[in-house]
Amino acid sequence: MSRYARLYVYFLRFSFSRAMEFRVDFFFRIFMDALFYAVTLAFFWVMYRHSPFMGGWNFDQALVFAAAVFLNDALHMTLFSNNLWWFPIFVNKGDLDYYLVRPVSSLFFLSLRDFAANSFVNLLLAFAIVVWSLLRYPEPLGADRIALFAVLLLLGLFVGYLLNFIFLVPVFWMHNASGLRETYFGLSQLSSRPDGIFTGWVRRLLTSILPFALIVSFPTRALFEAEIGWIVLQLVGIAVGLFAVLMLLWRLGLRAYASASS
Amino acid sequence: MSVRLFLQVASVEMRKRMSYRVDFWINAFVGFAAELCIAWFLWQALYAESGKDVIGGYVFDEMLVYYVFVIIFARLVRGAEFEAHVSQDIYEGGLNRYLVFPASYFGMKYAQHVGGLVPTFVQTALFLGAWLVFTGGAGGEAITLTTVLMAAASLVLANLLYYAMSFPLHAVAFWADNVWSLLITLRFASNLLGGRMFPLVLFPVALRTANEWLPFRALFGLPAEALLGRVGFEAWLQGMAIGIVWLGVLSLIGRAVWRRGNLQYSGIGI
Repeated sequence: MSRYARLYVYFLRFSFSRAMEFRVDFFFRIFMDALFYAVTLAFFWVMYRHSPFMGGWNFDQALVFAAAVFLNDALHMTLFSNNLWWFPIFVNKGDLDYYLVRPVSSLFFLSLRDFAANSFVNLLLAFAIVVWSLLRYPEPLGADRIALFAVLLLLGLFVGYLLNFIFLVPVFWMHNASGLRETYFGLSQLSSRPDGIFTGWVRRLLTSILPFALIVSFPTRALFEAEIGWIVLQLVGIAVGLFAVLMLLWRLGLRAYASASS
Repeated sequence: MSVRLFLQVASVEMRKRMSYRVDFWINAFVGFAAELCIAWFLWQALYAESGKDVIGGYVFDEMLVYYVFVIIFARLVRGAEFEAHVSQDIYEGGLNRYLVFPASYFGMKYAQHVGGLVPTFVQTALFLGAWLVFTGGAGGEAITLTTVLMAAASLVLANLLYYAMSFPLHAVAFWADNVWSLLITLRFASNLLGGRMFPLVLFPVALRTANEWLPFRALFGLPAEALLGRVGFEAWLQGMAIGIVWLGVLSLIGRAVWRRGNLQYSGIGI
């Protein structure tokens, strides 16, 4: 375990020094994410001008949800996004070989090697918005609930990472990843709206087989709802299930992988 | 650049885009289905929870039809924006070959952009067919030949306008090592101010009035409003005029940035 921690510290050092070489991109990224936050907040502000509730949540609750969406997005962009972008390219060019021969878990190495230091400032900004949204919430939330919210947000992040990877693994057979990326991107938009708006079989689908609706909504619901046992249980169960699916697909994919020009 | 060459370049690009058929169908359905699914459930919840039948002058069916068209129009307006390769040409030094071609670079790239739109036209026809079959055109009762022509003219302008907006951002690649984030920034701003996220009538009056003088409304909101008969002929003409003025301004900016960048282009990529 300590070997992996030491390795991750090297990843961080390398990523920060590289980010500092491309300073213009660094500022462009900050601007881009700040605008994303502003646009999303404006969306909720406009919607709540026409309705007092959205998916059962009032404006204050929706602000906490929106802030959680920002934090989830910033964490995903910082930790996983770059790595998962490169994964299909590595498969197609045969560069995956370099990851498979290292004496560490290839999934660990592939998923976490490139820490997006240029998204790190946005992570701080997103965290500040979460704190602001919790502080301005009109009712007391309780430290235990906020702690649970934080833990479940991390679990939701893990579910988002697993889904993203699962959507990319078919590149071992399909070769072109553009459609896979589009599919994930299209479906991931479902996580940026409160799960309470979805009803019927679509809701069941989005909280089980394609659990996009629970990535951020479930942690946020854990803040506001009285009964939270089922929320925690479902999120943990989905994370375990998706991890098993990813491991299975990864093994099958590696069997199909034929190195260069795979 | 001759029309023949323009069409040939567009044709090559079209065949390239159609060569990955799985991607074509995935792009066609998943993104569209996800967006429409969100719009459907979001507005169903908002209409129910607000207790209103009409929001911003739209009943539920009309709101949904607005989203159907604005999702389709956004594809026609943007095309394959991240595959236009202008910034890629600059990074990798691929611009060299275009500089020695006996044709304008801008014309070549726009021909590729237009060729890349052909799959989107096919998808549009499929979606419109599906909408007519499954809903019988519900919510689109105000669509007439006149509104279709107004929307078509708006779409041509919108496509040129979006290209003129993104071209200077691509050209920033002469100085910066990554312009991807600038293009995403344009996408976010145009989604909100262009009527892609919700009808612009939902903005407060002051914001709506100010936004009418910006170039964004002409991208998605104006074509959709024109098609659905929600904008009168004079107001449409005014919207088009504002869009055309912005097109001129942005073209001049693009040309200036391009010339300045060309002066320091070394031809070896970054």
